[in-house]
Formats: sequence, C-alpha cells, structure tokens
Amino acid sequence: MPGKIINNSFDALVIGGGIAGGEAALNIANNGFKVLIIEKDLSIGGKMILLSKVFPTLDCSACITTPKVSEISRHPGITIFTGSEVKNIAKIKENSFEAEVVRNPRYVNVDDCTGCQLCEEACPVLVPDQYQYNLVGRKAAFIPHSIASPRAAAIDIENCTLCGACEKVCPAKCIDFTQETETYHLKIKTVVLATGFNLFDPLKIPRYGFGQFKNVITSMQMERQLAPTRPFSTILRPGDGKVPDKIAYVLCTGSRDATIGNPICSQICCMYSIKQAQLLMGALPMADVTIYYINIRSFGKGFEEFYDQAKGMGVNFIKGKIGKISETDKGNLILRYEDINENIVKETEHDMVVLSVGVLPNPENSSFFPNEQLKLDPFNFVYQTDCLASPALTSIHGVFVAGTASGPMDIPDSILSAGAASSEAISYLTQKK
Amino acid sequence: MNKKLGVYICHCGGNISDYVDVEQVKKAIESEEGVFLAKTTMFACSDSSQKEMVEDIKKNELDGIVVASCSPKLHLLTFRAVAERANINKYNYVHANIREQSSWAHSDDKTGATEKAVFLVKAAISKARYAESLEPIKIKSKKAVAVIGGGVAGMRAAIELSDMGCPVTLIEREPFVGGRVSQFDILFTTYETGKDLVTRLYNNLLARNNISVYTGAEVIENSGSIGDFKLTIKITPRYIMDRCNEGRLQKAIDACPVEVPDPFNFNITNRKAIYHNFPSEYPHKPVIDIENCTRCGECEKICESVDFSQKEEIIDINVGSVLMATGFDPYTPKDGEFGFNQINNVVTLPQFKRILALSNEPLIYNTRAIKHIAYIYCVGSRQVEGENKYCSRYCCTSVIHASIMAKKKFGNIFNYHFNRGIRTYGKQEVLYNESLKSGDVYLQSYEDDPPVVTQQGNKIVVTVNDILTGKKQMAVEADLVVLVTGMVPRADNSVGSLFKLPKGRDNFFNEIHMKLRPVETVIDGITISGACQGPKNILESSNSALSAATKSFSYVSKGELELEPIVAEIDKNQCTWCGACAEACPFDAIKKIKDGDKEIAMVNNSVCKGCGMCLPVCPTDVINLIAYSNREIESMIDALAGS
Ligand SMILES: Cc1cc2nc3c(=O)[nH]c(=O)nc-3n(C[C@H](O)[C@H](O)[C@H](O)COP(=O)(O)OP(=O)(O)OC[C@H]3O[C@@H](n4cnc5c(N)ncnc54)[C@H](O)[C@@H]3O)c2cc1C
Ligand SMILES: Cc1cc2nc3c(=O)[nH]c(=O)nc-3n(C[C@H](O)[C@H](O)[C@H](O)COP(=O)(O)OP(=O)(O)OC[C@H]3O[C@@H](n4cnc5c(N)ncnc54)[C@H](O)[C@@H]3O)c2cc1C
Ligand code: SF4
Repeated sequence: MPGKIINNSFDALVIGGGIAGGEAALNIANNGFKVLIIEKDLSIGGKMILLSKVFPTLDCSACITTPKVSEISRHPGITIFTGSEVKNIAKIKENSFEAEVVRNPRYVNVDDCTGCQLCEEACPVLVPDQYQYNLVGRKAAFIPHSIASPRAAAIDIENCTLCGACEKVCPAKCIDFTQETETYHLKIKTVVLATGFNLFDPLKIPRYGFGQFKNVITSMQMERQLAPTRPFSTILRPGDGKVPDKIAYVLCTGSRDATIGNPICSQICCMYSIKQAQLLMGALPMADVTIYYINIRSFGKGFEEFYDQAKGMGVNFIKGKIGKISETDKGNLILRYEDINENIVKETEHDMVVLSVGVLPNPENSSFFPNEQLKLDPFNFVYQTDCLASPALTSIHGVFVAGTASGPMDIPDSILSAGAASSEAISYLTQKK
Repeated sequence: MNKKLGVYICHCGGNISDYVDVEQVKKAIESEEGVFLAKTTMFACSDSSQKEMVEDIKKNELDGIVVASCSPKLHLLTFRAVAERANINKYNYVHANIREQSSWAHSDDKTGATEKAVFLVKAAISKARYAESLEPIKIKSKKAVAVIGGGVAGMRAAIELSDMGCPVTLIEREPFVGGRVSQFDILFTTYETGKDLVTRLYNNLLARNNISVYTGAEVIENSGSIGDFKLTIKITPRYIMDRCNEGRLQKAIDACPVEVPDPFNFNITNRKAIYHNFPSEYPHKPVIDIENCTRCGECEKICESVDFSQKEEIIDINVGSVLMATGFDPYTPKDGEFGFNQINNVVTLPQFKRILALSNEPLIYNTRAIKHIAYIYCVGSRQVEGENKYCSRYCCTSVIHASIMAKKKFGNIFNYHFNRGIRTYGKQEVLYNESLKSGDVYLQSYEDDPPVVTQQGNKIVVTVNDILTGKKQMAVEADLVVLVTGMVPRADNSVGSLFKLPKGRDNFFNEIHMKLRPVETVIDGITISGACQGPKNILESSNSALSAATKSFSYVSKGELELEPIVAEIDKNQCTWCGACAEACPFDAIKKIKDGDKEIAMVNNSVCKGCGMCLPVCPTDVINLIAYSNREIESMIDALAGS
C-alpha cells in the first residue's frame, strides 16, 4: 500500500483499546512513559462501551466506561490511533522492538469534526449498523455511536458511492476524500496485547435457527436493546416489532461444547444473562423471562447474591440444555429440551429467544510477530507462560497480555489482569532503562 | 461578587431522562440567580460534552459550573478535571445527583422525580454561589511500601514493587512465608507444586536488596496516614540462632517431649514444640513454638543453636503506603456438619490435600484403606441458613483437580462428587471434562436438599436425592468423606481494624469500586490484594497483587502527594477542648494538643476525610468544614425548602 511513511517512537505499544488495553495504557502512562494505543475499530472502549448495565453492581456501563475513555484520550502521555492495524512487530533485542503500523483513512478530519451528524442525514446509502449488531441500519457517512471516542464521523468507503452529498452539507468542511493510508515505522520498548475476544457465531449451530428465525437474537443484540444508546425506545422483537412477553435465554451457546470445537466455559454468559433478565423484568414488568441452563456459574464477588436476587424477582430458571428450536407461523419459537428436574423431554413456546453466545479467541494475535513464537494455549488464546505467579507474561520476553486476549473473563478480572500487565511492563521499562 | 454559573443537566442516555423531565428541570432553574447558561446533555461525562463545557466556561468567562447527573462517586474527578482544563478552580464546580437520588429512586413517580430534581439542582446552584477556590494540601510521601502478609499475593507484590524501584518491608505473622500455597502439593492448573512456587518467589525476594522480610512479625500499632504511615512491628524470636547445625537440630527436635496438632497439616498430624515446616520452609530454619514449649530444656541440652535468651523485638518503620495481603482461612465445619468431628474419616478439602501429599501407596487413613471417596461440595459456602451466601469460586476446580490427582497417584480409587452444579469456569472446565471421562460419578442436589452423611455400623453412607436422575435417592458407601470447604476471612483480622479498613457483606476487606478502583480502599494509601479481599485462586491473587503494587507505587513514587482540602478546621482561639469531636471522628483524625497553656483539638489534615461527624457535636460550634461552610449549607437548605 503506498501512502505516507512516518517514523516515531514510544515506550509502550498497547494493541487493542478495550477496557483492558485502556486500563493498561493509563497505568503505564501515569508512571511517566509514552504510550501508543493501536485500535482497529473507529472508537476505543471495546465491547464494554456498548454494554447496558454491568453485573453484579448494575452500574450503567456507558457511565463507567466514558470517563475512563475520556481520561485515556486526554492523557498527555497517551497517543491513540483508531482505525489502525499492526502489520508486524520485530524484536531487535530486549527493550527494543520495531513495529509497522498502518493507519487507515477515515476520510474525515477528526479534529475539525463537531459530530453534528448532518453528513449522516445527507448520505443516501443505508447498510447494517455493526455497532447495533445489525439490529438497525446506518449510513455510509456515520458517527459510530453517540458515546464513541473520538465522537467524529467516518466514511465507510466500501459502501460509499462517492456521491459527495456529505461533503456538501458538512459545515466544518472536515470531510476529505483525499486522505491516504499512513504507514508508521515505530520504535518501541515493550508491547501489551489487549486484543480482546470474539463472540461465538451462532450460525454454526443451525438447529438454533439464528439467521433463519428473526426472533432468535444474540445476547449482544439484547445488550444493545437494553443499553442507553439503544436502537429502539423499548425492547422489540426484530421479526415484527412486537414487544415480547415471553423471553427465553439459551445458555452455553457455543461454550462447553466439544462438537463445535469449544470445550471451555466462557465464564461471563451466566452472569450477563441473569443481568439482562433482571433488566428485562424492569423494562417489561409483565414479561416472563426464562433462563435454560446446564449449571449457573455465579462464582465471583457478589455473584451468588445477584443470582438469588434474580430468582427473587421472578426470573424462571430451568435446568436443561436446549436441543432444538423451531418457529411457529406467528414467529414464535418452540424450544425442545430435557427438563432435568422432571426428567422428561419438553417443548415450550416463547416469543423471543436470546442466545447467550460464548467467548472465542481473537485469531489475529498470532499474526503480529512473524519472526517470534507467540505461543497460544490449546484454545488459541495467548498462552500465559507463568500463569500462577506472573499471569501477564507471554512466550516473548517484553510482550505482556491483558484482559480477554488470554481467556474468557469479566470486566473486574480484565481490569485486574490489565493491572498485572501494566505492572510488568513498568518494571520491564524501569529495569531496562 | 456575583458569580456567573453554567448548569448542565444530564439525560444519562435515559437513565435519568426516562423518569426526570430534564427539559423541565432546565426551564425551572434557568432564571435562578447567577445562572448564565443552562443546557441539557445526553452524556455529560462523554468527551464531546466535556469539550463543550470547557469551551462554554472559557468563552463566557464563567466562574463556576453545576453538573446534575449521576452520583459524584463516579464522576466528581471527571468534572473537576473539566474545570481545571477551563482554567477555573476545580472547587467551583458543584455536583447534583439527580440519578441515584431522583430518577432511580422515584421511577414510579415521574412528576415527583422531576420536582425533586429541580430542588436538588437549585440547592447545588446555591452552593456554587458561595463556593470558594481551594488549593490541594501537599504532603511529602515516603518512598517505601509495607506489605502485610507473606503469602503468594504479598510476596508477588513485594517483588514487583522492588522491581519498580521501591523499597519494601514484607511483614509475615507466621514464622515462615508462603501462606496457604506452601501447604498444598500439586496445584491446578499448572501442576507446579506449592513448594516450587513458594521457593521461586522466596528466592526472588532474597535476590533483591531493597526488600526486608520479617517473619514472626505483626503490626501492632499505626499512627500516621497516607504518605507517612508510622508502623510499630512486634517480632517474635525463633529461639534458634542464625547459624545452626542441621544434624544436631534434628536430634533436638526428636528429643522434644511436647506434641501438638500440626496446623501446617491442618491438624491431621502432630508436631513437636520445636519444629520444621517441611517441605516448603522459608526461611529454612526451625522455630520454637513458645506457647506450647514447657521449657524443659531437652533440646537445649542437645543443640547449642537453641537460644532461649532471644527477646521479642519492637521496631518502627515509616512507609508511604500499605499493601494488605493477609489472605483467608479455610472454613471449619461445625461439629456434626456432615458428620464432621463425629464420624470417623470425614475430613475437609485442605486436610485431604495434605493426606494425598503425605501418603504413600496404598492410600490409608485412620487405618482404613481408601477406595471410595465422597466429596460434598459447597460446605461453608452458598449457605441457605449460615452467613456465607457467596460462592468460594476456587473449590469446584480444586476438588476436581485433587480427585484426579488421587486417582493418578493411588489408582483404584472411585470418586463420587455430591455437588450443587459444577463451577469450573473458563479453561478450568477442562479438568471437569477430564474427570467425567475418567468415570467419576457426579450427583447433584439443590441447596435446600443437601446430602446426608450417616454412620451405619462400620460403614459411612452418603445419601442424596439426585436431581440428575429425577431426584432418585442415591446412596454411596464411602471410605472417606471430603467436605469441600470454602474460604472465609481470617479469624484474626485485627490488623484490618488497626487501619479501620471497611469490610464487605461477606466480611472480607472491601474495595472502593469493583471495576473502577478494584484494589483501593476508602482509607487513603492502603491497597488490598489476594484472598483477603474475597475468594481467589492463585492466578487471580497474583493479578490483584500486581495491580495493588502499581497502585501503592503511585502513592509514593513522586515523593509528594496532593490531598483533598475538604477537611474540618477548628477555630483554635475558641476551642476549649472537651473531646467530643475526637470521640465522634470515625477516622481518629482529631488529637488533643497544647496551644500555649491551653488544650485544644487539632485536625490531622491527611487523615480527615471531611465527613463532618465532628461538627454537630461541638458544643461551642467552632468547627468549620471547608467547602461545606454554614453559609453554603444554609443556602442549600433554603433552596431545598423552596424559599
Ligand atoms: C453480551 C455481553 C454482556 C457482558 N456483560 C458484562 C457485564 O455485565 N459485566 C462484566 O463484568 N462483563 C460483561 N461482559 C464481558 C466484557 O465485555 C469483557 O470482560 C470485556 O469487554 C473484556 O475487555 P477486553 O478489553 O479484554 O476486550 P474487548 O472488549 O474485546 O476489547 C478489545 C479491543 O481490541 C480491539 N482489537 C481487536 N483486535 C485488534 C487488532 N488486531 N488491532 C488493534 N485492535 C484490536 C478491539 O476492537 C477492541 O476495541 C459481557 C460480554 C458480553 C459479550
Ligand atoms: C484446599 C485448597 C487448595 C487450593 N489449591 C489451589 C490450586 O491448586 N491452585 C490455585 O490457583 N489456587 C489454589 N487455592 C487457592 C490459594 O490457596 C489462594 O489463592 C492463595 O493462597 C491466596 O494467596 P494470599 O497470599 O492472598 O493468601 P494466603 O495464602 O492466605 O497468605 C496470606 C499470608 O498472610 C499472612 N498473614 C495473615 N494475617 C497477617 C497479619 N495480620 N500480619 C502479617 N501477616 C499476616 C498469613 O500468615 C499468610 O502467610 C487453594 C485453596 C485451598 C483452600
Ligand atoms: S466453587 Fe463450587 S464448591 Fe466452591 S462454593 Fe462455589 S459452587 Fe460450591
């Protein structure tokens, strides 16, 4: 790819600007080091910024993410590249890495954009909105979401027809179709991998009917429906816009299931489903919410009490794994399962089904170090070489791992893991100084 | 001076505006005295809103701002920073909480919620009119950290602090470091032994010259506060000289006539009053348990290294921050709980781990050959009746791992797991799968219908109504029953009270905010890590230890700290020392001092949290709380009362 080539240097390179990467960057920068965050997405904040409320405290997720995000973006010691990718990193010697980073054009001058959204109104192209997990559409000229950081427009060049409508209406004259890819050659001293996790794709379990039955959605889609930056003003089933009143959760979708290649437990789905169930009971007081589970794993601080609270609120818990989902002509769904308590196979009708999808590794980790062996664990998460005493160490000295890049974990654990990674990085930088 | 104020009323993306009509609030306060501009905003805390506030302040030369949004617990610092970026003193920003106090509290009454929000905002505006500019209190901070507790968490934190260039004092109450981990043999999920891990950490401690390790040491007093903790440490002697002759010492141990239950082996074996802690004994030197020693002198006769003349030592240290890592106790079942202490061969999981480590083939306990083992899960955790509502999180994985180890080491073992739903979260699931594959039997019940252990003649029988087979009653004859005991706070956690550390519902030490400030406590300068904060496995303990190390380091690294100036101040001319304020202060911030020939009360600014408890008890009304002066509070009350 041609384009500008820029040289620069930093103390630490943090790959991924989710909550783990952000926390690690802040800790390192607060100790006087220069940090660069490379974020693939158009906004930092990772998955957390898109969540509704968070278990087990029911804090509003946006409310605790946005101040972090704004602290990160304002920090004098932190530089952020959004919409960027790490092409490769070479370790020259201890405390010396060279990275090639590509910054893709946004076609908008971020500093000048006021986020007025006039371009959005003017753009004639409509495509599914990835930030609403395809529940609604967005334009090709768009602001990722209302609490994005930076909160600036971007042009989705793949879908843009180059009609120029946005350019005409932009009062700040910040749209710039001449922007080019920039390639950075960076000298850095340490690397923190905080590339997060991928969600299980439920198309891989056809018997659950995702993609085929419109009223079967994923937990992340429900998360969006419950979030303050939600697509609709209430909870709707996508098939016909009806407010659902009998909602089912299917736990362990894509987890603890060797048949789809993921034998491990995703560690967060029980709890986020219980959380969503509680929020649904609040949003739709007349609705009936049922959680179908194998085991409820409410293991963390305050979790068991949170589970008890859901039972107290009237959430139904049924021990049984869903075998198959079918659709009625009204768009309702029939769940077939073995009710473990009664020891019989049953069928129950619901009008909306939420698949509690699991946590998968981010496969991109292995591509960063062409000349080095970044070891992965048997499930393809980043391998922790000293997982008891130094959980942030990887097989490459000077490269540390933070958050869900090393395995499933919730936000509190991601933050502690980021604390560990930053602490190791600070010691590494201090000692090699 | 008439102040020019800006008021920002937040929707909180619906969290507020779903119940409080924010536009109406704006209208109602727009014409209040001093309000120059009033705006509503979707997320006041978002980057773009913050930018807008800064611009507003600069452009309109505002003197202060009022933000009406969520709890100041979340965003006080955010908006103070906004004020600073706009070059106004940050104490000219006043907060109104219209979410927790209005929209969430009154979601059933939108009109009422809106009305209350209006009053709250008006009160904040009144306060902002009188708010004064303040400067932070600057104090020196001693670049040194005390780590209390020498388990995995404490040792790991000490090593990291040292590597960041910070001197550390590690204080361990027991004569040996290592904590609980030193008591366990093979660990999940790495198959390293507890001994290997503790050895590794201890060698790392010794290799660093800026760490001082004290064993047999306890903090008995703390005077001082963040930046300048003054700790008094009591060190119990070992009664063994530094250089000692191994061979003779062993003979001395053999000669000791006293036998007491060995807590290292969770009391399943006995030890002498002079003893080793094999295999993971650091420092590698025996010790005399003086409480149980009868001073018979037998050991002294054999070995010249025994030295009863050693005296208790008291030392004082001065550190800028304290890192707590005092760990947990395993739950001790009550007599008769699942047959404990009443039926032979009912043991706890920690005891079982020791039995596995100490036994050679074949596995025999209490003269009984062990073939069938029943494990009863969640003992002391997830209690329906008892106090411990929480899940101890480590135990499902730990017991499954131990049961696999038992099979591997001794062969011919049959395991029966009486569980309440297995919680091998994350990658630990692999162990559960391995156990299922090896043919272990899993029986499950709910918390209200636990298994029952009975003795029938020579037999121990465990019965349960198993929900996995349609509540069929199942009975297993077991040679050994293992009670899978959870984690509870240390029985002697008095060191917490010494620092006035708050505890959570579960009685473990509590953090400020699980997500935003997970290792900090409300006592400035004190961080918590490891299992003293709640159940954690080793990986989780290490993560929190490293996080706490970074945090503690940040308190001391610069040698100087800025503290909140919102403290009580006492008019020394009018104070006549009655002591009422000192008694009312929950943080011990007030002391009696001599001022000339008069006695008066004095507030320690670095300890005072500005809680205001001392104000109402002062009979002469000579205490002022900075930023909450009578003038400010009275004006707020007037606004709230609608006058
Ligand atoms: C439906 C749902 C609900 C949840 N609810 C809760 C809850 O209530 N409470 C709770 O504690 N936890 C909850 N979680 C879990 C929580 O989302 C995670 O713990 C947390 O997001 C992990 O943060 P992270 O930074 O490790 O990963 P991520 O959030 O995945 O962030 C990773 C970041 O790295 C970026 N990235 C990825 N690859 C690259 C690359 N190659 N180069 C540059 N950047 C890259 C990504 O774009 C992203 O910004 C929930 C999860 C889900 C799915
Ligand atoms: C049966 C059992 C098996 C386990 N197996 C595993 C396993 O295989 N893998 C795994 O990851 N985890 C395992 N764990 C969990 C593991 O034990 C804990 O994660 C770990 O011990 C926590 O370390 P810590 O340093 O926080 O606490 P501790 O190990 O309890 O150490 C605390 C230290 O502080 C000292 N102390 C206490 N009070 C004071 C005071 N006032 N002053 C000075 N010092 C004080 C104590 O003497 C102790 O040395 C197991 C736990 C149990 C009960
Ligand atoms: S981890 Fe397992 S055994 Fe321990 S309390 Fe939780 S559910 Fe019970």
